[in-house]
Amino acid sequence: MNIRQRFRAAMHYQPRDRAPIADFGFWEETIPVWHEQGLPQDVFFSGAENNTVEYFGMDFGIDRVFVEVESGLCPEFETKEIEEHGSRIIVQQADGVIVECDRFMSSIPRPVTHTLKDRESWQKHFVHRLDPGNPDRFPVDWAARLAAWKDSNREDLLVLPGGSLYGWLRNWMGLEQLSFTVYDDPVFFGEMVTTLADCILGVLEQTLASGVQFDACGMWEDMAYNAGPLLSPRHFKQYLVPHYRRIADLCHRYGIDVIWVDCDGKIDALLPLWLETGINCMFPVEIGTWGADPVKYRRKYGKDLLMMGGFDKHILAQSKEDIEREVYRLAPLVEEGGFIPFCDHRIPPDVSLENYLFYLEKAREVWGKGVNLRPMKI
Amino acid sequence: MTVINEIYQCVLDGDAGTIGDKVQAALDGEHDLSDILNQGMIAAMGEVGRLFEEGEYFVPEMLIAARAMQTGLAVLKPHLAEANVQSAGKIIIGTVKGDLHDIGKNLVAMMLEGAAFEMIDLGVDVSPDEFVAAVQEHEGDIVALSALLTTTMPQMATTIDALKTAGLRDKVKVIVGGAPITEEYAKEIGADGYAPDASRTVRLAKSLMG
Repeated sequence: MNIRQRFRAAMHYQPRDRAPIADFGFWEETIPVWHEQGLPQDVFFSGAENNTVEYFGMDFGIDRVFVEVESGLCPEFETKEIEEHGSRIIVQQADGVIVECDRFMSSIPRPVTHTLKDRESWQKHFVHRLDPGNPDRFPVDWAARLAAWKDSNREDLLVLPGGSLYGWLRNWMGLEQLSFTVYDDPVFFGEMVTTLADCILGVLEQTLASGVQFDACGMWEDMAYNAGPLLSPRHFKQYLVPHYRRIADLCHRYGIDVIWVDCDGKIDALLPLWLETGINCMFPVEIGTWGADPVKYRRKYGKDLLMMGGFDKHILAQSKEDIEREVYRLAPLVEEGGFIPFCDHRIPPDVSLENYLFYLEKAREVWGKGVNLRPMKI
Repeated sequence: MTVINEIYQCVLDGDAGTIGDKVQAALDGEHDLSDILNQGMIAAMGEVGRLFEEGEYFVPEMLIAARAMQTGLAVLKPHLAEANVQSAGKIIIGTVKGDLHDIGKNLVAMMLEGAAFEMIDLGVDVSPDEFVAAVQEHEGDIVALSALLTTTMPQMATTIDALKTAGLRDKVKVIVGGAPITEEYAKEIGADGYAPDASRTVRLAKSLMG
């Protein structure tokens, strides 16, 4: 089996030679720490720009499976450094948010101000950037890519960028202001969500019309934290569910039945609502301190729920016995299918290279059965 | 419905547009200040916390309730000083060194303020020395440490050590919270308490104040 066949078989509970071996990547500072622990200096990771997939012998890495089509802001805002205070820098991001970050740390930066504040700023700075008809949403060699992707024997996974209905707004406006908007101007909140959905659908329609058979659609929300969702299920149902359904329905019309949502945190209150809309795969099933567990989710939702991730990153920083125990604990679920296991978020620098290599060795042995594995360059 | 009940309802509904007038009406009606504060606003924030814990309120509901509370407090505050109404305690709060995340910390600070605690918010990326200096300057009752990252969690232990070194550990209670923090971790580093969310932090702080 090739990588694509294996992914599709795993996600449809079909026979397969083994589970896909995949990852969610690393904090950027993890790799330099690992260089000091013996990782070759030419191994690098910066989101979709990386060679860790090849080095560690992965079938795929999440950052590199997405089709390079822009379903969000186009054009993006100019990215620029505004101020510098020692290692702290103030930067305008591509989404218009002014953030403070540490020059030497890649973790989530702290928003200082937001370009999106109200209706006026929405109309002035955002609406024209959400025109699905902008040809710049597609790469210049789009036609050539489509031609290559139409090869029915292709091995590469192709995942549609399904965008975001809440997470982008949360980022662009800030949690506090967006939360106030839900109550102070619910019509405006609804309009913003609808504009996003229309843009995403427009872009997806054009992409799907190409005739290429895509393997999945991946959305991003990150709308939960350790105590639950950032938006009440009532508002979620009222404003977001109808549009998730539109997106899922479009995917289904083109034969795409794996639609994931990337959402960290405690997702329990939203999970059944996503499933109702046709968003059927949860990623990265962050274990956290709130008792999430892919085994428990399967027991509760059955095979309707697909999952990716679900291996507690904290265990990677513990003992080898702990790592091995967790690999074996998840093995029956991996075998059953509908679940592609990997670390439940990007791997932080407190995980040693030695432990990560041990985890990989066990994952390849137990989930990968030692069969048809891509070589590791170790 | 009495005006105190109306104030209570304004906080519960997050009605920042009306609460100022209601508080003023209560003051004009010569209602006892402590009744306005305790039975009106603080009791309402307690109910907000309960509804949050029970999964009926979420972050937006908590935020608009806190905004209404602050709007009402702004009307009440000048009178509180005159009447010498005491705060529930003084809490120094901050996100530990190396960590720039403040959403959780801000929610906790809002809920604590809503429970009549005086808050000294040091912001994010706060070094152990800055926490020590703040305890010395403000003579806080509780130090509340927040961390989102597994890599910055150890700064909580470092901060507790710094308080010990400065001879302040016995003078303040230390509470910790944040996505990766657990009860076990709190015990391991010698904190006095842990709470999994903003609402339960209020209960914890009250219990530590006796």
